[in-house]
Amino acid sequence: MTPLLETRGVWQRFGGLIANSDVSISVGRGEIVGLIGPNGAGKSTLFNLIAGVLPPTQGSIWFDGEDVTRLPAAERCQRGVGRTFQVVKSFETMSVIDNVIVGALVRNTVMRVARRKAHEVLEFCGLAARANVLASDLVPSEKRRLEVARALATEPKLLLLDEVLTGLTPVEAKTGVELVRKVRDTGVTVLMVEHVMEIVMPLVDRAIVLDLGKVLVEGKPTEVVRDPKVISAYLGDRHAVGA
Amino acid sequence: MDTDFAKRRRRDLIVAACLAVIAALVPLFVKDVYVQNIMVLTLMYAALSQSWNILSGYCGQISLGHALYFGLGAYTTTLLFTKFGVLPWFGMLGGGLISALIAMALGYPCFRLRGHYFVIATIVIAEIALLLIQNWDWAGAALGIDIPVRGDSWLKFQFTRSKLPYFYFALGLACVAWFVTWWLEDSKWGFWWRAVKDNPDAAESLGVVVFNSKMGAAAVSAFLTAVGGSFYAQFVSYIDPESVMGFQFSLLMALPAVVGGIGTLWGPMLGAVILIPLTELTRSFIGGSGRGVDLIVYGTLIVLISLARPQGLIGLFSPKRKEAMR
Amino acid sequence: MTAETIIQSLASGLLMGLLYGLIAVGLALIFGLMDVVNFAHGEFLMIAMYATFFLFAFFAIDPLLAAPLVAAALFVFGAVVYLLIVRFAVRAKANAGMVQIFSTFGLAIVMRGLAQFFFTPDYRSVTHSWLGGKTISLGGIFLPEPQLVGAAVSIAAFGGLYFFINRTDFGRALEATREDAGAVALVGIDKNRVFALGWGLGAALVGLAGAIMSIFFYIYPDVGASFALIAYVTVALGGFGSVFGAFAGGIIVGLVEATTAMILPPSLKSVGIYAVYLLVVFVRPRGLFGSI
Repeated sequence: MTPLLETRGVWQRFGGLIANSDVSISVGRGEIVGLIGPNGAGKSTLFNLIAGVLPPTQGSIWFDGEDVTRLPAAERCQRGVGRTFQVVKSFETMSVIDNVIVGALVRNTVMRVARRKAHEVLEFCGLAARANVLASDLVPSEKRRLEVARALATEPKLLLLDEVLTGLTPVEAKTGVELVRKVRDTGVTVLMVEHVMEIVMPLVDRAIVLDLGKVLVEGKPTEVVRDPKVISAYLGDRHAVGA
Repeated sequence: MDTDFAKRRRRDLIVAACLAVIAALVPLFVKDVYVQNIMVLTLMYAALSQSWNILSGYCGQISLGHALYFGLGAYTTTLLFTKFGVLPWFGMLGGGLISALIAMALGYPCFRLRGHYFVIATIVIAEIALLLIQNWDWAGAALGIDIPVRGDSWLKFQFTRSKLPYFYFALGLACVAWFVTWWLEDSKWGFWWRAVKDNPDAAESLGVVVFNSKMGAAAVSAFLTAVGGSFYAQFVSYIDPESVMGFQFSLLMALPAVVGGIGTLWGPMLGAVILIPLTELTRSFIGGSGRGVDLIVYGTLIVLISLARPQGLIGLFSPKRKEAMR
Repeated sequence: MTAETIIQSLASGLLMGLLYGLIAVGLALIFGLMDVVNFAHGEFLMIAMYATFFLFAFFAIDPLLAAPLVAAALFVFGAVVYLLIVRFAVRAKANAGMVQIFSTFGLAIVMRGLAQFFFTPDYRSVTHSWLGGKTISLGGIFLPEPQLVGAAVSIAAFGGLYFFINRTDFGRALEATREDAGAVALVGIDKNRVFALGWGLGAALVGLAGAIMSIFFYIYPDVGASFALIAYVTVALGGFGSVFGAFAGGIIVGLVEATTAMILPPSLKSVGIYAVYLLVVFVRPRGLFGSI
């Protein structure tokens, strides 16, 4: 079974700075994979490369068996890659439902259908009550959910979540985790960048740790957190489980 | 929720229909030719500004070179008629199509440009076109072309005895422009444009091909503007480069939308109804010595609106609308 | 077309180009400072020319002498425009693009209207001046004195600008604000003050150009329009935000204009410059030296 997403030997250089160095990862269908690592590890860059925001300096990216390395972001979305942004980018001048309709239009160009689909997605994400509210009037946790709803409306095969759970209250985070599980249950594969270990580790099937642009370790969350390389990368025993 | 939205859409349509009917009845009561003239121009600019609004308001690509399409429309109809005897109705269509194609061809290099670079490019392109026509003898060069008028004819779209047919055509054009905008507002195009204008990165991540969306807007906008230009040529029966491709047209097409409400459905209409009669009246009241007064009025209005009320005057008419357009 | 006429043409083009650079540098400065294009730039030039004219007509002051006065007046005017209009325009959140374009555009229209109203559309000219109508012969090439002095003033101005930006405190504050307007506030620099002075400086430079140009150009309300386009082209060519770019851009524009005039009929003179603008922005959107 070919993996849904594969990066093969991806390098990203910005002038003299190497953000990603020979990164080869894969994400299988139906998995929830966590992409973790300390600050500056190259997670966001890798994310942007997968999403198609910029092409890698070297290497290739394969999605659903197709080489998408040269495809720009919009086309990747059409192929089934959905993403959220770490710094929420909602359409502030549009209502919540309209925000989601934009996403729904990728698969449904008939307005009536797109609108219905948007409503369904809002229900799924628990934002149905706020449908006609202007996006700029939402509270931060709602905006995060809108990010996810919008991306979901594009009916992605792979959903890239960029720190959607960071900075939430414990209650909000719990709802967020449930939402991610619900998403996977509908058959969407999830690749999520996260910082908050306590929340992410119980959620993901597999964890990939990046450090200084390279893949450090990958495996089951319980193994990864015990790996001494990972612990020293984060410079702290706080994240080590057990002894 | 759906019904709220659908209700608003229906209401807009009904209001538009009522206004159109009222407007259609006005000439029956107003016989003064001078006033009728102003009304024709108001309707024409309403249509033109609405068309401009599609590209520059909804899609956010501010153009100050739309006189290019206006002039193209005028010249296409006129040349086809005077040189080849093609009826203006076909000429209008031809002018519209040519303009749409040129708009897309220009869009290809231009849409990559940032805001100010783009605006200047539109100004420059229109100027080049104007200069080229001024030096093109076959097209009349600087002297322009007279459209031979031999009595009234719907076929040839020329009328000598009354302005009414022109009035109704202009009204029709304004209605079409409004309707196209209304229809596009709730279409994938409308959503794409709003998304791109709001946050292009987010739009791309949601599968919106920014470039294509701009091309669509450019083509529609150019087509309608060109039809307006064709109309104008028939209305005044004489064209020359300055009078149909001059920068003043680019400006006059933008102003009603800016004043009324850029990127809104009713903004350009409101703006036209305010600005055009205002211009004509100031011109006639202050007379020859009042050169420049219309410019002073326009200019001040634009500055005030830009600084104090960028969403335009239309917001004053509906609190809900004001909310949504903020 | 002899070699001599060609060199003559190019020499005049070079001189005009240096003047174009002087007109454009204010635009580049303002844009570099705060990412705003002053669409009233041509009108700044226009009132500088009118001011020079009136100083001549009423007080018999030669334009060359009037130049510093006009520059000073334009300095004040530029700062005022920033404080009264631009300062608010940049704060716009809704329709930001439209606001930035139309706020200065509206101003341009008002200024043109006021000029038409108060000064009438009649063409004015400074009929006698120290430099007017005189030419110098340099190795067989005839160079008109006003343009020559204009070019010299331009070079001096650029030199002064370079010194000012790189060697003085205020110049450095200007650069710093350009880099990060938010951060400078933390260091105690008043952003508004810097911007106002930046606008003043940009306007003063245009004022200088206008004063010199009134020696050999007709003065009328719409005179700013054509030069404004040339200024935009110059700045785009050199790279919006680059002072040196404006200098180089001006020279290129001047030479292109002269070359086009040699090849095409005079009424198409501007087509060459406009075409160059399009070529540059399509191929190299940052301009030749730009950083933005």
